[in-house]
Amino acid sequence: MSTSARPSVAAPTSTPTRAPVGGPPLRRDPNDVRPHGARWWREIGWRHVVGVVAIVYALVPVLYVLSASFNPIGSVSSTSLIPTDFSFTHYESLFTNPNRPYARWYLNTILVAAVVVTAQVFFSAMAAYAFSRFRFRGRRGGLLTLLLIQMFPQFLAVVALFQLFSEVGKVVPALGLDTLLGYIVLLMGGSLGQVWLIKGFFDSVPKELDEAAKIDGAGHAQVYFQIILPLVRPILAVTGLLAFVSVIGEFLLASIFLRQTAVKTLAVGMYTVLDGDRSNNLGWFAAAAVLASIPVVALFQYLQKYIVGGITAGAVKG
Amino acid sequence: MRRIPRGMAVAVGAGLLLAACSSGTTDTTTGGATSPATETATESATPSESATDAAPVRGNEDLVIWTDDTHLAAMQAVADTYAAANGITVGVQAVTDTRAAFITANQAGNGPDVLVGAHDWIGQLVQNGAIDPLQLPADQVAKYSPTAIKAVTYDSQLYGLPYGVESLALFCNKSVVGDTTFATLDDAIAAGQKAVDAGTVESALNLPVGENGDAYHMEPLFTSAGGYLFGKDADGNYNPNDLGLDSPGGLAAAKKIGELGEKGQNVLRTSISSDNNISLFADGKAACMISGPWALNDVRKGLGNDGYTLQPIPGFKGMNPAQPFMGAQAFYVASKGKNKSFAQDFIINGVNNVDAMTTLYEKANLPPAMTAVRDSIQQDNPDFAVIAQAAEKADPMPAIPAMAEVWQPLGVAYADIVAGKDPEQSMKDAATAIRTAIAGS
Amino acid sequence: MSHTTQTHPPARTARPARGGGTTRPLPLLVKVLGLGIVAALAVLVTPPLIAQQRWGFLGVFWGVVALLAAVYATKRAVPAKYLVPGVLFLSLLVVYPILMTFQLSTTNYGDGTRTPKEVTISRIIASAAFQGDNARRFTLEVGTTGTVDTGPYTFFLVDQASGDAYAGTEDGLEPLPTDATVTDGRVTDVPGYTMLTKQQINRLSQSGGPLAGFTVPTGESSVITAQGFQAVELTSPLVYDQATDSFTDTRTGDVYTPQRVGDRSYFTDANGARLSSQSWGESIGLDNYKRIFTDATISKNFLGIFAWTVLFAVASVGLSFLLGLVLAVTLNDARMRGQKLYRSILLLPYAIPGFISLMVWSSFYNTDFGLFNELLGTHVNWLGSTALARIAVILTNLWMGFPYMFLVCTGALQAVPSELKEAASIDGASGFTQFRKVTFPLVLVAVAPLLVASFAFNFNNFNAIQLLTEGGPFSASDPTAGGTDILISFTYRLAFGTSAQQIGFASAISVILFILTGVLAAIQFRGTRVLEDVN
Repeated sequence: MSTSARPSVAAPTSTPTRAPVGGPPLRRDPNDVRPHGARWWREIGWRHVVGVVAIVYALVPVLYVLSASFNPIGSVSSTSLIPTDFSFTHYESLFTNPNRPYARWYLNTILVAAVVVTAQVFFSAMAAYAFSRFRFRGRRGGLLTLLLIQMFPQFLAVVALFQLFSEVGKVVPALGLDTLLGYIVLLMGGSLGQVWLIKGFFDSVPKELDEAAKIDGAGHAQVYFQIILPLVRPILAVTGLLAFVSVIGEFLLASIFLRQTAVKTLAVGMYTVLDGDRSNNLGWFAAAAVLASIPVVALFQYLQKYIVGGITAGAVKG
Repeated sequence: MRRIPRGMAVAVGAGLLLAACSSGTTDTTTGGATSPATETATESATPSESATDAAPVRGNEDLVIWTDDTHLAAMQAVADTYAAANGITVGVQAVTDTRAAFITANQAGNGPDVLVGAHDWIGQLVQNGAIDPLQLPADQVAKYSPTAIKAVTYDSQLYGLPYGVESLALFCNKSVVGDTTFATLDDAIAAGQKAVDAGTVESALNLPVGENGDAYHMEPLFTSAGGYLFGKDADGNYNPNDLGLDSPGGLAAAKKIGELGEKGQNVLRTSISSDNNISLFADGKAACMISGPWALNDVRKGLGNDGYTLQPIPGFKGMNPAQPFMGAQAFYVASKGKNKSFAQDFIINGVNNVDAMTTLYEKANLPPAMTAVRDSIQQDNPDFAVIAQAAEKADPMPAIPAMAEVWQPLGVAYADIVAGKDPEQSMKDAATAIRTAIAGS
Repeated sequence: MSHTTQTHPPARTARPARGGGTTRPLPLLVKVLGLGIVAALAVLVTPPLIAQQRWGFLGVFWGVVALLAAVYATKRAVPAKYLVPGVLFLSLLVVYPILMTFQLSTTNYGDGTRTPKEVTISRIIASAAFQGDNARRFTLEVGTTGTVDTGPYTFFLVDQASGDAYAGTEDGLEPLPTDATVTDGRVTDVPGYTMLTKQQINRLSQSGGPLAGFTVPTGESSVITAQGFQAVELTSPLVYDQATDSFTDTRTGDVYTPQRVGDRSYFTDANGARLSSQSWGESIGLDNYKRIFTDATISKNFLGIFAWTVLFAVASVGLSFLLGLVLAVTLNDARMRGQKLYRSILLLPYAIPGFISLMVWSSFYNTDFGLFNELLGTHVNWLGSTALARIAVILTNLWMGFPYMFLVCTGALQAVPSELKEAASIDGASGFTQFRKVTFPLVLVAVAPLLVASFAFNFNNFNAIQLLTEGGPFSASDPTAGGTDILISFTYRLAFGTSAQQIGFASAISVILFILTGVLAAIQFRGTRVLEDVN
């Protein structure tokens, strides 16, 4: 819905603001003038130093996983940061064992993640809009309740959820245990998971914008879909990514809901293997984990331009 | 069962609570109001039975079997054979945290018809009324290893049909200590220590301890040095009130373990755990290792089919024989399965024969529990013969609920002793903690 | 930074009619379709729900329809239009389970108490039935003179030892009708009877089915019952007497009556021997809560573990926020080459499923074979002492958590208008002052609620502890409380780590932890003044 509305809006929004009219005199176009020498170090260079250090910290365990995925022996003790031996055995085994249909799990995961993330961002953004723009009774209480409810450790409620869905499944089999649809609905419980983050962003969008639009006769829905949503793309992208990661990594609920091999997601499929035998499968896991991380990285690549480029081109600049 | 400490951890991590899931309310509804629904659902499913294999929707199969990932292929094989012979559909599922998930799902009425798992689950399964006793005639029971039958018998009832047995054994790396059968554990340790001193390997004898200990793998050492866990009553059943940890024998055994620990000979170490025990040995970094049949694949891959020796664990010099725990893998009939008739028939007729048991042995990579199959593989698979022989002499791992109170405190005590704390005190502390826990349950 | 220049909203493709967008065709269509689909679904599930007498479900379904119609078909309650979908999901899938958890916490539900008493009694009787010394085994066929689904049914039995054939009903055994055909030890045809197939027998034997519990009595306490597609003669030694609520073992004469132990009862004889390890479910009021506050193990360790839990949560959130923020700010300079690459790589820890990361990290800390000692050239038992293990846990959790903070901060930084920063620069503020006075407060406002939520998450971050240290190191003198145990891992081991899983008790713990977390979060809200901000 929001996507269809965007093109018609984005163009007029960005044109007037993007033109560098009357900027302050000191302002430079960053692409033109790059500092050099000592000044480069002071302004840019140190950033690389910090970046590289951070990357080492972030990467060491990742490299270890990568190395294990290529090491044909694939055990904890034989793996080092730099692979000593190289083979694609583990990657091949991901796709050749019919008892562990990795490709199927992969597709299931993408399907679940796509639906749940879209819904979560959509519903969260709607609720955030209400909390940010309307004044109604119970608003403050509602916001705080929301935060409080989300503090309930998720896996504690599993008892009740299992019961609920096993009953639902008796009435509507398509929504029961061992169905992807049921699992998707289950994860919809987190529909409002991102409200606070998005609301914070909404609050930073000046109210004058929607007020002006309303004076011009736009309804609340129009203001929301055509004015606000395009402006908050960065946070939608961020929350989308956060939701995506949490859906992909979810295995607690999945491990009791999805028990049939064919409907498992990556996380629960991998966890089942881990649960079956911990010491013998490191290489398999590593390869599985490496491939599983690709969608997250790819999505981030795609969303980066929204995350970073979004609001500076928007109207907040005034 | 070999992964008790970790297994418990993972259980806590994932399944646990999940084992909860159906309170009295569910029961009343399933008893009364739901039955028409189940009826109609099945009726509409019955005519199209042959067509159902296209799209597996949970519960539509005529027989649903739950197992864990490692045994999936074996179960699939025997289930397929049974399905073909009877013209029905089967579904075999690898379920995370199988035991807890089973108890939960069975209670809620959407569990499997047949469960496959270790014999020491039986206590908890029976406590929850989750499995039915099996009524097999005596002549058929006699076809299985008596120890395996003892393992799956609980409260004088046969609850499972065993297909595989497990027991710990001693693996040694041929290229490090030579092609020797060690008469005592001290000999094996000495040979390994020589290799450590020479810098060939990093560990003389791998035995998983970890930070939190591993009472399962320590049991053969503990028993050889004079300790015992539970005494037995006149009928040969374990007596939870006779805890032997702080008996004179138990304390002596603790001391012996301390001597092998980090402050002593540094053979036993907390840095070796179930996570790296097998892989270190398979990589050639340990001279010997105590592990079970589940390690064979990795060991063969790492050291070659002829690169290792395997023998029952010998005792310490001049002490008792080492008594590891014996474990059996078995089939159980779920008490609330939808297809009980097929479940019972599958176990009584489908797998209770030489052909199926041979298939299971081949695919599950476990020494068989059926004596005829065990005898037939004596020549082809001497490794399994060794383990089966060790299992036959071992005591089944206690399935009594009190045993669950033992693992954690005893494991911690072992880890402390190995790390160099006072053996007697650690063992007494553990005994006190375990007695308190047993009294409270 | 004034908005006065922006007099017109930027987005205005067509001038809409006054009174809101709801009268335009597209939104109207969406609404009608949406409501229509929901109503159609509700109509679809109604007949089966009525047939199964599931009034609760029915009420919920139609309640939802009515709510949606009330909200979307009218023009009132505009905020509700934005809140209802999310709130519905939240109430059904989060709030309801929380209430259920509370309900569960007032029961003794758990191992051995999953079944109601009458079910337990029948299970005890069933599992005590045994094959006597001369027990007969039969091949089994089932026939009926009526319809397949309603019966009446007859067991056609052939004794496997003697070859004698019988017809068995619930009245007892009779000789097989003489005109019946017996082939290969099985009764294959009986005139006047329809013989059932295996599938039919299986289906009718399902719980609640007409063949479930079908037995052929053969003596005072023995019956013939089906075992798969065979039948076996079983003797039941136990007799339950409802009046005295007791079991009698007919072999020994022992009498078992319910004796209470803790939160449950077992059938126990005069010597204290239990008939069975099965007990039954009961409501026990607030006993589970009482136990939390009176259990010596808990009270002895509570303060120390509570302090560490808070420290763990604060350190995890604080450090990962700090690192995430520093990195976000550092990399938030468009002039930097490779900016995108840096950001992508820093995200990687987040992209790998958590339980795998934890498994890998736990191997890093190994004394003899771990990466840390290898890199540092040390021989430290990282997870062997409480202090080091705590550092290890925090270091790992920092690694797991900082990409999240990095992402959130990067997002939030985009909301800080660059003019503000530039203005500060012009005023001569140094980079750090500018950050401290301008950027940081703005970012903090945006992420403060997330920090609180993140604190709550880590306060109960069961997996981080369980998969890394399992709560250890432990000492043999107190194997219940480990050095890195946080409240949730400690209490859950109490509830689950032993033979009997105590779900009711665990639920009570959940409720208490929930309240505790909420209170702590509220305190933090006051501290960060976010409460005021909500207005």
